[in-house]
Amino acid sequence: MFRKLKGPVIFLLMFLDVQVIVGSTPICVHGHTGCQTLSLADLFDRVIQHSARVHGLSSDLHSEYEQYFLPSKNKISKINRNCHTSYILTPNGKENAQRLAGEDLTGVILKLLLAWRDPLSQFHRSMAQHEDFTSFSGNKALEMSDMMHLLGMISNSVRGLISNEALGPQASSSEARPMNDQQLLYCFRRDSNKIQIYLKILKCRIAPEQGC
Amino acid sequence: MHSADPRLTLSSSDLRDCPGPEMMAARHLLLLLSQACLLLETGSLAAAPPLTASEAPLESPHFTACLSREQETFRCWWSAGSFRNLSQPGALRVFFLKKNSLSRTWMECPNYTASVPNECYFNKSYTSIWTSYCLQLRSRHHNVTYDERCFNVEDIVHPDPPVSMNWTLLNVSRSGLHFDIIVRWEPPPSADVKAGWMSLTYEVQYRERNASHWEVLDLETSTQQSVYGLHTNMEYEVRVRCKMRAFDNFGQFSDSIFVHVPGKVHGKESTFPVTVVFIFGVVGLAILFLLIIFSHQQKLMVILLPPVPAPKIKGIDPDLLKKGRLDELSSVLSSHPLCKAEMYREEPWVEFIELDLERMDAAEKTGCSDTQRLLGLVPHLGSSHRLAAKDGDLGRASCYEPELSEADPAVAAAFCLRPRVTSPELQSDRPAPDAGPAPVAGSAPDGEADGRPVIQTQLSTQSSVSMDFYAQVSDVTPLGGVVLSPGQQVRGPGEKGEGGDGQPLKNQKEGQKKEGEGGVEKEVPLPLLIVAPDSGAYTSELGNRQIGSDCSRREAFQDPPAEMPQPPPEKNAVEQFALIVPPAGEYQSPYFIPPTPQLPPVADYTVVQDVDAQQSLLLNPSTPPPPSMAPVKPPPAMPVGYLTPDLLGNISL
Repeated sequence: MFRKLKGPVIFLLMFLDVQVIVGSTPICVHGHTGCQTLSLADLFDRVIQHSARVHGLSSDLHSEYEQYFLPSKNKISKINRNCHTSYILTPNGKENAQRLAGEDLTGVILKLLLAWRDPLSQFHRSMAQHEDFTSFSGNKALEMSDMMHLLGMISNSVRGLISNEALGPQASSSEARPMNDQQLLYCFRRDSNKIQIYLKILKCRIAPEQGC
Repeated sequence: MHSADPRLTLSSSDLRDCPGPEMMAARHLLLLLSQACLLLETGSLAAAPPLTASEAPLESPHFTACLSREQETFRCWWSAGSFRNLSQPGALRVFFLKKNSLSRTWMECPNYTASVPNECYFNKSYTSIWTSYCLQLRSRHHNVTYDERCFNVEDIVHPDPPVSMNWTLLNVSRSGLHFDIIVRWEPPPSADVKAGWMSLTYEVQYRERNASHWEVLDLETSTQQSVYGLHTNMEYEVRVRCKMRAFDNFGQFSDSIFVHVPGKVHGKESTFPVTVVFIFGVVGLAILFLLIIFSHQQKLMVILLPPVPAPKIKGIDPDLLKKGRLDELSSVLSSHPLCKAEMYREEPWVEFIELDLERMDAAEKTGCSDTQRLLGLVPHLGSSHRLAAKDGDLGRASCYEPELSEADPAVAAAFCLRPRVTSPELQSDRPAPDAGPAPVAGSAPDGEADGRPVIQTQLSTQSSVSMDFYAQVSDVTPLGGVVLSPGQQVRGPGEKGEGGDGQPLKNQKEGQKKEGEGGVEKEVPLPLLIVAPDSGAYTSELGNRQIGSDCSRREAFQDPPAEMPQPPPEKNAVEQFALIVPPAGEYQSPYFIPPTPQLPPVADYTVVQDVDAQQSLLLNPSTPPPPSMAPVKPPPAMPVGYLTPDLLGNISL
């Protein structure tokens, strides 16, 4: 699944390098000649589709987890959850998100992506240990692992390009509180929705041709 | 699936903003609330029971629904439940808490909607997405918490229904019975789709006007949907609703639009009888065709599968003979190039041959055969000639064919060719007049005067030899006179006619015994072969066996072999006897003259003793079997009138 996030990551990299976004940007990143140019709108669409897919997967995983492992719905427990990405300042409303500049918004997205690399791998490990998980996760676990791999690649590539100031303080893996699977799924679902909406806002701001 | 609080039922949205569909929702809510109030509930502060009017009467105040329309604001409604005293405004208060904020203080509802009772409205400043909210329903003064609800705003978003729905006809089927449409709509104006803040997916439903079941189509991201397979002349109702992508909360349905396409009423009705007529026509034609086939089955079989014609073999159809149709047989034989049977009717010389039928009858009665008469042995009928009597059968059979009786009996009798040649010696024996030889002599007006004496000589010679039953005719004069030869064949062609004439009697005998005096010439006067169907001695070898009756054979066998002139090369004796082809074509011999090979001169005639297994004639039992006798088979010469069915077996024309 993270393979599909390669698109947005690549775009984000290019976006960071090039401060001004032009109409069409070649998608050949390996230096091959005669590359096919892809419009920004199409690129955005692909990215958003992938993020939507990620969000859907996370939602499914979360609901299934709650269905199997928490039959008695404890709403109070929901309140106490505190995601590890809470330190990241993200716009919580439409006006806030629209007020943010493109670069800032992209930085927020990248922060979120990076923040989820380790927890996802942790989750994947825990899922492999839990035999109960495999019964219901199935393909979703596989997709989660793919997302983790992609996140890892993104973070490594992004770290070299983005200055530390833009990224802000990073939460190292040591600081990360150990989350249970349910909380992790809840938080990931929320953050994937954030990523999707931020990307959509970016797209409709930059290339509002289709689907806006 | 996003697990929403089941108690967060769908409720009406902000009434102030959009009065249209929300009026309906508010009405629903008021109805529910009134139903709840009717139930006298004096309850405790237990958890909110399910929101059904038919449930237990005790129902505490609770939140009925919390809803966000555009993911920017949200509202919450509550109800007093059974508590009638709490239904007035202000009796219940709502407090909320945002989890992400550091402050843990509960704040009261920022805005109690004035127009709508029991509604708390959170505007944009108070609404934080991706933030957990907890709401509490408390009493005014007692700080009794009746209900608490926690949620995230994005989980309670129910988008408004789409607007501006319209449909366009895509196409109509060729039969005019079905059509396709495409429905278009606009996203709800409250949802900020343009900024990308909300991504909506739509669901279209349609049904027939009076049906109860809605057809649900797949989710659509774009703002248009194609509907296929609708029936003409039928009114359809189409509606659409939307939800946020990756979330499960659908909004309200939009206003239904009605689709109606008038179809070809006449077309449907008119095609039916046309189809029926067509089917009936095809069936009728098929039945007629089958009837024709079955009625003319035989003829069709002949046409389609013509019978293979039987091989046409040249010959005489045995069926003709079996049926006794001699006329056809005659025609068949006459048509054959070899058969010149019809000519005999025109033979002038035949007419001159008169038969003394009376004498013949008399002779028949006495058992005389033609040969006997020929030889002048008629008066000598006795024991020695008893066998000759058996020739009478031959004569009778040859001359008195029942079929021939229909024809000219005179002509038929003429075939007997019984030259009533009487030698001067015989004449004395015969009381018969000269009527017999007379015509014979008369038939040879060419001056074959020697014929008579020759014949006579022959006869006399033959008479001396009792075993000689056969007279050899050496030649036939152009006028039809039969020339008998004593048997010598040493004569050349020029001497043919007189070959035997000049021979004295004595020489006759010698000649018979010896191979043949004189030069054995290649070309010998072929003796006339009198072919009598019964006397098969002079016929071909095959004919000898089959044609010949027993009489002749016995006759032949009973001849004392010693007395018979049997020259060594008797093997070729048979071949000697052949018909003489008349040199002149004045008349045509009725007989066939088969080509015979050149034979060495031998006795003029001999008697076949036996036929061995190799179908070779044994003229002398002591003699070795002729080596190449078998292959020579001159076809028998037979007159038409003498054919019998049993003879046909050997006929090979």
